[in-house]
Amino acid sequence: MKKFEVIDISGDVGMKAFGATVEEAFINEAMGMYSLITDIESIKAEKSISISVEGNSFEGLLVSWLNELIFQFDAYGFVGRRIDIQSLTPNPQSPSLKAIISGEEFDTERHERKLLIKAATYHKLRIEKTGDVWEIDVIFDI
Amino acid sequence: MLPEKLRRIDETRIEVPKDYKAGMRVNGVIYVDEVLEQELETGAIDQVANVASLPGIVKASMAMPDIHTGYGFAIGGVAAFDLEDGVVSPGGVGYDINCGVRLLRSSLKKEEVVPKLKELVTVLYNEIPSGVGSKGKIRLMPDSERRLMLNGARWAVEEGYGEMSDLERIESGGCIDGADPDLISKKAYERGRAQQGTLGSGNHFLEVQHVDEIYDEKVANMLGLFKGQVTVMIHTGSRGFGHQVCTDFLEVMERAVNKYKIELPDRELACAPFNSPEAQDYLSAMKAAANYAWANRQCIMHWTREAFLKFFNAPPGALGMSLIYDVAHNIAKVEEHIVDGRKRKLIVHRKGATRAFPPGHPELPDAYRSIGQPVLIPGDMGRASFVLIGTEKAMNETFGSTCHGAGRVMSRHQAIKRAKGRAIWRELEDKGIIVRSAGRETLAEEMSEAYKDISNVVDVVHKAGISRKVARLRPMGVIKG
Repeated sequence: MKKFEVIDISGDVGMKAFGATVEEAFINEAMGMYSLITDIESIKAEKSISISVEGNSFEGLLVSWLNELIFQFDAYGFVGRRIDIQSLTPNPQSPSLKAIISGEEFDTERHERKLLIKAATYHKLRIEKTGDVWEIDVIFDI
Repeated sequence: MLPEKLRRIDETRIEVPKDYKAGMRVNGVIYVDEVLEQELETGAIDQVANVASLPGIVKASMAMPDIHTGYGFAIGGVAAFDLEDGVVSPGGVGYDINCGVRLLRSSLKKEEVVPKLKELVTVLYNEIPSGVGSKGKIRLMPDSERRLMLNGARWAVEEGYGEMSDLERIESGGCIDGADPDLISKKAYERGRAQQGTLGSGNHFLEVQHVDEIYDEKVANMLGLFKGQVTVMIHTGSRGFGHQVCTDFLEVMERAVNKYKIELPDRELACAPFNSPEAQDYLSAMKAAANYAWANRQCIMHWTREAFLKFFNAPPGALGMSLIYDVAHNIAKVEEHIVDGRKRKLIVHRKGATRAFPPGHPELPDAYRSIGQPVLIPGDMGRASFVLIGTEKAMNETFGSTCHGAGRVMSRHQAIKRAKGRAIWRELEDKGIIVRSAGRETLAEEMSEAYKDISNVVDVVHKAGISRKVARLRPMGVIKG
């Protein structure tokens, strides 16, 4: 199964991700996002960070998750190579997610500079299960 | 062909009537002529209609000729809301709070710079941090970041980046009062810490240009512009700091929409009543981000000035490098406007739209009181940029607003495909334009064909009378992120 593919829209860039489970789709969406920032093949899983996010809703949790990774990159230069979701509670009252991400600090000498992502948006956001496959669409503000 | 229900008002305007979509409280008005009408996206028209359904919207939901689909609000959108029953929406400002443009003039002539252009561009590229993952030269401790949020460009001048006299030639004096650093999240502090004095990426740029056409001799004179003169344009905003403020407050607004039972056609229009604590908090945080952006452009201009002086081996104050003006094109402000013959205070949202105040307006600096506010319109890196001037008609029709740039017509992906096998930098160099960019794909994404022709956009606002052409600037050297 394909993990993710770029959604072509005028102005910005979107990312469609697939997964056999919702966790896998969340991971693939995040890896797809990293692939917009740099060539992920060049990133080494050198150090790990733990992430814990909450959302106002299930969609909100996805947006918070991606925005947390954008924050980790924009503030500390951290790019992930491997993501392990430890818990994902889609409970509509208080959805939450905990994950450990292994990666390294972005280095302009070694890593390709692709897009600067400002934020993940709610624009045309979609989380759906079609048959056995979870599909996620997110548009990023560039 | 215009979609059904849309009506052409005149040569430069289209009306989106209230019955275009359920829930619209006022009409929409889109400033496009028949040429730009061809590029009008249905998604963008719908967004103009959606904004028209927000509570307390006054007069009309408007869009400038550089309109294209955004999140919630269309890019190029202008919407004003009543302070009593209207709303504030972070989506009406955008993620890059106070993204804007400043223009710097010099006494240099084009022919003095052309022979050394390549080296000059390299010097500027090395001097101005740009691109994904670049680190600025400034590291802000929490205390100085607070002062920066409160004082904007003045903070930069006090830190030694520029002159006090620069401040009067910046919209709002380079600082909006009322910023509250206590409302800024830890994350925004962190993102802002190392990004002050950085250009960023995407459509942001620093450009060495020359004046190649003067349309209004008198106003150009007052601005110190003459044909063949070298200018520098800087286009950037509040960087990760502003993006985080927007992200944080969209979440706050999501909750506010439920709390105040506001019905929305699109989640990205999340908003709160102007007088609610949520809206007031957002505005105080937005002001901090706006001030961050004004400081950012001030720092970058300062280093540009220093780089020119060093490069041309000139003493401080030489080369006539002074600021013409600095405008915001993503911002919300409380302003006084006359609506139906009555003076009213309104919260005006400009998202990809520039303020264009007329001669005599009290907010203008003395130097420009008699001519109106300079309006700076950046184009793509291959064509041109423009200097315009604000008009009375803008005040009467568009809450003193005009266009902000070219507006994209091609997606980044399409642009990259179109550029395959081509060397964009060489194509530009053949036209006499030297470009440097940090990202490998930036030049393809940002090539001229990816944008509307800026001349068409500017012609519409000129013909519509909501600003007047003063001068055209041609790119010579471009630094991209």
